[in-house]
Amino acid sequence: MNFSGILVMAKPESQEQVVVALNALEGVEVHQVDAANGRIVAVQEAEDIHAEIEGVKRIKALPDVIMAEMVYHYLAEDERIYEAMPPELMEQQDGFETCAVPAYLNS
Amino acid sequence: MGLSRRDFLKNSVAGATAATVGMPLSQQAEAAVKAGESGWQWDKSVCRFCGTGCGIMVATKDGRIVATKGDPDAPVNRGLNCIKGYFNGKINYGKDRLTQPLLRMTDGKFDKKGKFVPISWEQAIDIMEEKMRWAMKEKGPHGISIFGSGQYTIHEGYAAAKLMKAGFRSNNIDPNARHCMASAVAAFMRTFGIDEPPGNYDDIEHTDTAVLWGANMAEMHPILWSRITDRRLTHKPMKVVNLSVYGNMSSDIADMEIIFSPSGDLAIQNYIAREIVKRNVVDWDFVKKHTVFTTGVTDIGYGFRPANAEKFASAAEMEIVKNEKVHVIDKWEAVAQRKKEGEAVEQKSAANPVRHWHISFEDFKTALEPYTLDFVAEVAKGDPDESLADFKAKLQQLADLYCDKNRKIVSYWTMGFNQHQRGTWVNEQCYMNHLLMGRMSKPGDGAFSLTGQPSACGTAREVGTFAHRLPADMVVDIKKHRDLTEKLWKLPANTLNPRVGSHYLKIMRDLEDGSVLFSWTQVNNPWQNTSNLNHWIKAAREMDNFIVVADAYPSVSAKVADLILPAAMINEKWGAYGNAERRTQVWRQQILPPGQARGDLWMTLELSKRFKLKDVWGEQKIPGLKTEGFEDGKLPNVLPAAEAMGYNPEMTLYEVLFATPENKKVKWPDPIAKGHGNHIADLLKDGWFPEKALFEEYRQFGVGKAHDLAPFDVYHDDNVRGLKWPVVQKDGKWVETQWRFNEKYDPYVSKGAGFEFYGDFAKAIPTGNLDAVTDPKPVSLAGKAKIFFWPYVSPVEKPDANYDLWLCTGRVLEHWHSGTMTRRVPELHRAVPNAVCWIHPKDAEAKGLKRNDLVWVESRRGKIKVRLETGGRNKMPRGMIYVPWFDEGVLINKVVLDATCPISKETDFKKCSVKVYKA
Repeated sequence: MNFSGILVMAKPESQEQVVVALNALEGVEVHQVDAANGRIVAVQEAEDIHAEIEGVKRIKALPDVIMAEMVYHYLAEDERIYEAMPPELMEQQDGFETCAVPAYLNS
Repeated sequence: MGLSRRDFLKNSVAGATAATVGMPLSQQAEAAVKAGESGWQWDKSVCRFCGTGCGIMVATKDGRIVATKGDPDAPVNRGLNCIKGYFNGKINYGKDRLTQPLLRMTDGKFDKKGKFVPISWEQAIDIMEEKMRWAMKEKGPHGISIFGSGQYTIHEGYAAAKLMKAGFRSNNIDPNARHCMASAVAAFMRTFGIDEPPGNYDDIEHTDTAVLWGANMAEMHPILWSRITDRRLTHKPMKVVNLSVYGNMSSDIADMEIIFSPSGDLAIQNYIAREIVKRNVVDWDFVKKHTVFTTGVTDIGYGFRPANAEKFASAAEMEIVKNEKVHVIDKWEAVAQRKKEGEAVEQKSAANPVRHWHISFEDFKTALEPYTLDFVAEVAKGDPDESLADFKAKLQQLADLYCDKNRKIVSYWTMGFNQHQRGTWVNEQCYMNHLLMGRMSKPGDGAFSLTGQPSACGTAREVGTFAHRLPADMVVDIKKHRDLTEKLWKLPANTLNPRVGSHYLKIMRDLEDGSVLFSWTQVNNPWQNTSNLNHWIKAAREMDNFIVVADAYPSVSAKVADLILPAAMINEKWGAYGNAERRTQVWRQQILPPGQARGDLWMTLELSKRFKLKDVWGEQKIPGLKTEGFEDGKLPNVLPAAEAMGYNPEMTLYEVLFATPENKKVKWPDPIAKGHGNHIADLLKDGWFPEKALFEEYRQFGVGKAHDLAPFDVYHDDNVRGLKWPVVQKDGKWVETQWRFNEKYDPYVSKGAGFEFYGDFAKAIPTGNLDAVTDPKPVSLAGKAKIFFWPYVSPVEKPDANYDLWLCTGRVLEHWHSGTMTRRVPELHRAVPNAVCWIHPKDAEAKGLKRNDLVWVESRRGKIKVRLETGGRNKMPRGMIYVPWFDEGVLINKVVLDATCPISKETDFKKCSVKVYKA
């Protein structure tokens, strides 16, 4: 389980529609609304980190949403996610021996 | 209440989010937040990444960082975080953190061709000492070098610069900030006589117009962008203009997007100036009281090797590099520079490109005359699919905004201006248009250079970790500045070396030609961040030299090194950064570095224990040194003078420069730590608090010189979120300065002056006309700023039949610089796993290519493989591609041209020519 607190800014005149649209998204709940300046706090629940990032992109793409940024993140200590490394960096996971000049540095 | 664990967590996350952005909390939420964070200790810190300088709160539990959030009390970001900032807490925990020193060895001995073997710190410092002694014996103090950083803490940069300049008497220390801010610095110094922006971020909430010139703020400074977005939505007159060479995310809320050709900005600025003059909207009162008109030499080359370039460059490279000697004027330059097309201009001022002089307003006006709308539109139109009429209309609207006296304007720029073959000029042109209309140093009115790195200002610039600088804007080649520095550092006269050292790219060239034999990299990644990389990788691996790289992760630079030193990261050490708005911010050590990783400051101090005064303060050879008061090519023996001052030749540099009797009075532990540790003080074991002592020592440079900083403890006060210098004591309080040079805000402006550009650098210059000096006698312009005229100059390498596309490089939102840290945060890696090559779909189609194809991008210098992207966040005009440089698997800097602004020596990473074909 993975939760993120997201600040959404909507065009003030469209704030209500944006709240409805946000609540309609799977895993998203609007928790607080500040009518004075169009700010909305939503909490998103996502299966994994990948879904979390995709989820924010999905919010950004909603009509009348000016900005959506993750502000708070529940840091679940999950060793598994650290496995996801760039492949060329994976090679050096085993230790210092692989700090040798890799082939891709040679022209 | 029957809340499930899940509901509880959600409430807690919502509450924390609301609190972070300053929204009121319900009582229920407040309780949930507190319960969820039990046992966490929250402390203030600063974001590790860009120059915005967002305040971050870091939570630790059991010696680990468990959460981070935007600091709601930080005036910069008011609780917000961008995606990189959001993951600050995770960068320390990549699996492949370097935790022990590694040396290339064969059979137990150092061998440049050997494999990395773990060694002790003692052995690591041993071999560094041995190789530094060898390099200095062979080549003198300029045989050694440091690649420093705009990500150094203030303490780290100060110690490294002092060790090099006062200890080893070498000016060969230069930061990666050379690649990012040098043009801005040169223009600040030349225009105002003092470095760094007069204004601050609050300009956003005061202005009516934000004009971006080569700054994709939406991706590169997202938090400042959110403030601009907010202003755009809440302030009706607010307009946003995005000038760029390709369409990007900053255009999304812009009222107007202007796509211009590479270097077309030089022409557009002159068009605006011409309109300001023509429409008679010059603020003459301001201009007469506070400015002078100036111009200077233009035959200044392109920053290539000044001599013997053909020894190192290939024949293909020489096609471009030969312009360093003679440049043939093209049809645009002919009009812009009042010359003839085809005229061969010898670049006579390449060795001294900084000369400039007073001109009359009439001359200034004459110089602007060629920059008509018709001409500028032809030169500067960047999108071949846009009509000339549409582009002209946009330029006119832009001029309308600048010429509107009732409108406040802030111009913002980053690398588009700074990484430019005429980067200093284009910065100065921006001031030209603001000064002409009296639009400087006023709330909501100003030209603001955004910084790329977290302490490009605080450390690289203010401390002076450049090859020519000393603290507080002083330079090594001015005697008065050396004298003052020698006094503050308690050095014998003429200890400091008056010869400017090698700038960043030149250190690479020096390694290639063998004039530098030892290099030490601190807090950056030179073998990924420098253009024309194939040369430098070869120089590091194949020349007889010794390359030391301190890093937290096995970066490209670590992999080409001979010795790797495992470095502590942010929050594993005490630190201070200075952001783009002159705000100095601090943090305490929160957690311990892993394994044997240690702070760079400790490495510098430890190494300083290995050298005695007798090793470095005797006579030294400095090839090329020719300065009044010095024997040619030599630094004098200052040991007798040192002994007269009470020093002993057997004393170490550690005792003389760092652990001085005065500094040792600053004791560790100190109550200001509030229970936090200090691994560096603990390792030194001699009872002083190096970060605090060095900060207090450094602070003396700025006091009374309009660079004033507050004492160390003031910044660590729980209620302080950084202070913008000059910070001056008033009624017992430390007060920051909001807008410099404006009497209303700046205590340094003389009473009754209104405005005063009081910086004293280059404030007496000769007089002349547009082409030359007519009266060499220096005339003072004390208190005034310069309005420079500079002509349009074409990029030195342009697409042709073979290399038919422009290449522009830069960053992406999700990754910081070379990706060493952010690519190890799985969330950020997954968001943007690899660099791609953005290309216009029609360009791809014309080459028989499609999205996701693996292609070669090839220039005269090298080639790399990358996947094509025809959609997404960047919209390329036909004829141009964009490849970001964060990805070590796509080392685009192998392809990029190593031309620089000849004045600032900052590389132009934004324009060279390439071809793209299927891999």
